[in-house]
Amino acid sequence: MAKNRRHFIIATVLIVICTLLVYWVLDTVLLKSAAAVVEAGPIDYLFDLHIWLIAFLFALVAVFMCYALIVFRARGDEGDGEHIHGNGLLEIIWTVVPCFIVVYFSWIATTMLIDLTRPNPDEYVIIAEGRQWSWLFTYPESGAVTPDLVLPVDTPIRMDLTSDDVLHSFWVPEFRVKQDNVPGMVTHVRFTPNLIGEYVLRCAELCGTNHSGMLATVRVVSQEEFKLWQSEQVALLQE
Amino acid sequence: MSLFTLGIARGLVGQVLGMVIGMLLTCAVRILLGWEAWAAEPAWTVGAVCSIIGFLLGVGSLDDWLKWTKGIPTPMHHGPPVDKPAWTRYFSVDYNHKVIGVQYTVWGILLLMVGGTVAMIFRTELARSGLQFLGLDLYNSFIGMHGMIMIFAILLGVGGMGNYLVPLMIGAEDMAFPRLNALGFWFNVPGSILLLLSLFVGGWDAGWTAYPPLSARGPIGYQLFFLGVFAIGLSSIVGSLNLLVTILRMRPAGMSLFRMPIFCWAVFATSLLQLTATQLIGTSFLMVSVQRAIGMGFFDPRGILGEVSPMVGGGDPVLFQHLFWFYSHPAVYIFVLPGLGIVSELLPVFSRKPLFGYKWIALSSLAIGIVGFIVWGHHMFVSGYNDILRIPFMYATLLVAIPTGVKFFSWLGTIWGGKIHFDTPMLFVLGAISVFLIGGLTGPILATVPTDFPLHDSYFVVGHFHATMFGGFVFPFFAALYYWFPKVTGRMYNETLGKIHFFIMTPAFWVQTLGQMGVGVMGMRRRIADYDPTLGAGQIESWQLAVTIAGFAIAFGVMLMLWNFFQNAEVGVAAGDNPWRSRSPEWQIPSPIPEHSFPAPLRVVGEPYDYGLADSGYVTTASPGDD
Repeated sequence: MAKNRRHFIIATVLIVICTLLVYWVLDTVLLKSAAAVVEAGPIDYLFDLHIWLIAFLFALVAVFMCYALIVFRARGDEGDGEHIHGNGLLEIIWTVVPCFIVVYFSWIATTMLIDLTRPNPDEYVIIAEGRQWSWLFTYPESGAVTPDLVLPVDTPIRMDLTSDDVLHSFWVPEFRVKQDNVPGMVTHVRFTPNLIGEYVLRCAELCGTNHSGMLATVRVVSQEEFKLWQSEQVALLQE
Repeated sequence: MSLFTLGIARGLVGQVLGMVIGMLLTCAVRILLGWEAWAAEPAWTVGAVCSIIGFLLGVGSLDDWLKWTKGIPTPMHHGPPVDKPAWTRYFSVDYNHKVIGVQYTVWGILLLMVGGTVAMIFRTELARSGLQFLGLDLYNSFIGMHGMIMIFAILLGVGGMGNYLVPLMIGAEDMAFPRLNALGFWFNVPGSILLLLSLFVGGWDAGWTAYPPLSARGPIGYQLFFLGVFAIGLSSIVGSLNLLVTILRMRPAGMSLFRMPIFCWAVFATSLLQLTATQLIGTSFLMVSVQRAIGMGFFDPRGILGEVSPMVGGGDPVLFQHLFWFYSHPAVYIFVLPGLGIVSELLPVFSRKPLFGYKWIALSSLAIGIVGFIVWGHHMFVSGYNDILRIPFMYATLLVAIPTGVKFFSWLGTIWGGKIHFDTPMLFVLGAISVFLIGGLTGPILATVPTDFPLHDSYFVVGHFHATMFGGFVFPFFAALYYWFPKVTGRMYNETLGKIHFFIMTPAFWVQTLGQMGVGVMGMRRRIADYDPTLGAGQIESWQLAVTIAGFAIAFGVMLMLWNFFQNAEVGVAAGDNPWRSRSPEWQIPSPIPEHSFPAPLRVVGEPYDYGLADSGYVTTASPGDD
């Protein structure tokens, strides 16, 4: 038993080191796209929390496994190991403790999801129709119809997603959120752009031959520029 | 000896004849109705249905039942066929579970090679951005083809292990229903032929998931794909029924459920899933097939002009996804539970220590199976179904982590304090744990809805899924092949080559799966023929190249293994009856195993995994009066 205690102390130290190391590696290696909406804040926070969990659990299993493989290797010995059938208390612990982690993560994600999908009375509505293999955006407020998506910064947006042919999916990596366009129904996705710039909308549901090329330019512009752009579109429409 | 003494040759002829007859039948009906005689889609569809029946009739899998209808007795024939070489039994209908197990496994490995080759083709295409040599449609067909061929291969591998090992492990003479067992295998052959044939009639470009409306309007290849899957599904259903009955009814005296070798528990849980869920994928694909063939608008809200009759719409594309995933999520557990059973089975042997927490591991398989039925919604978090229902699906999905965790920790408990030997099968078991750990740990981040938004349908999912499949099936399957190779052939494989295979394949797989996840985080979508080279600050191309190289390394490793087996199956060093010093019943009998596996009924006298307990046995063939 004393020998086991020494093993556990060494393993614990190794697990702490390994956790930090794995987290650092993942944090450095994973190249997330830039965050261009308010919603990216909580989503990236939860993402980071998951990376910590992954790092810890990976370290926990990997350290114990590698440690056991080295310490308990058969050194040319044809004998058998200890005759232990199990340990009920340990099994209960590693069943119950993960339950709490599961509920904790689910709870955070639930409250976050409710916040992310809550309707906002001031939201600006744009209709995005996916079609094989291009996008069409309608601005109900002005009647403008464009192949590029232009969004005013710092304005809550609701995209109403439609399709007349097959499934498509609305995804701008910098916006994080994603939602399918489904023929026969209108689906919604909500976000608030907060970084002026140019992004690419990429269809994320396999939709036939040119699925990989089903892209659209997304420009997040200042609110003044957006008003200007919209009046230009209206003028174009009236010609 | 003529070629047609081989059942499979007669079956193939039967399949071609069936196809022709089906097509002629369609033409005849159309002429009678006063329509134009030839219409490609209905002709191929009816032809494909008849071709499956034609194959089964030709191979002779229905012979005995047909004789029963006429009252002709069909005594069970044991041993190789009379007046034919012994090897021909592997190419014909044979009722011995050991033959059928080998048939399943070999056909599975063949499909694994086809599926792997397809993957290597489009992986080469992805090594650089831009389209080099594949067209868009061919690329889209290839990704679905890779997916579904691999699923067939895995189901066959699972069937192979179950059929070969379960009767041996519980000391049964054979499976409960030998004729049904043979039928279960032979469904797979015409099924996989239809699947491969589909590539030559236009392919199918909606991926293995075949979501309508896209799958309802693509080329004819879809019909052959749907019917191929249907045939394989029938195989799953009759095969699992057989395994369940065998495990429940054919155990020897003294073998309570909690004294079975642990692999049987894994097969039991898998078979429960297969028996009850497979119908749903069959139904969903059949409904699309009918929608295409006669214009039933099950999944089409708008209605389009079909070839035969106009579709009237009124359907729902999301409904398909519910039906489809109600099977296809449990399917993932069908693929991995037997593999995890192999890990639990082999660890005690090579650690020389009892399995830690036997009952917990056994019940965790059942728990994973049961929870697996209520998590299908996580595949559809962004599909547009009732927003609020995403929350219970999220809780249920994360719940799967608990029984999975029990397995991992119990495995650690098993090796802790053992005397661990690093033979090739054990290396692959350890590789499986490491890879399944990566797959398992990347699951929760996809299960919580907010973090699923950016990752859904991205390459991250591809990486996660391949890690679960390699950790849960491929690595344990290879471990099983190396482990039982001496039992099946009586010969030992080359240990050095086996170790080289392991040390090439394992790091290569880590690179592949982590690379796939990495490009997914950068923002690469899955199922795209071409990607944006500016993603990940322009690093994506070097990541893709690394993944491609890793893929080729894995393929090389697999070829090394097959060459190793091929070389040593006939002329390798004699392995002896029990090279691994296992306590399991199949190792207490000669290698290779004689026609009748056990000379006398088994009796269970101890626990299966009592390594380290002196003078304890698990099974004996001696009756109580012999001592």
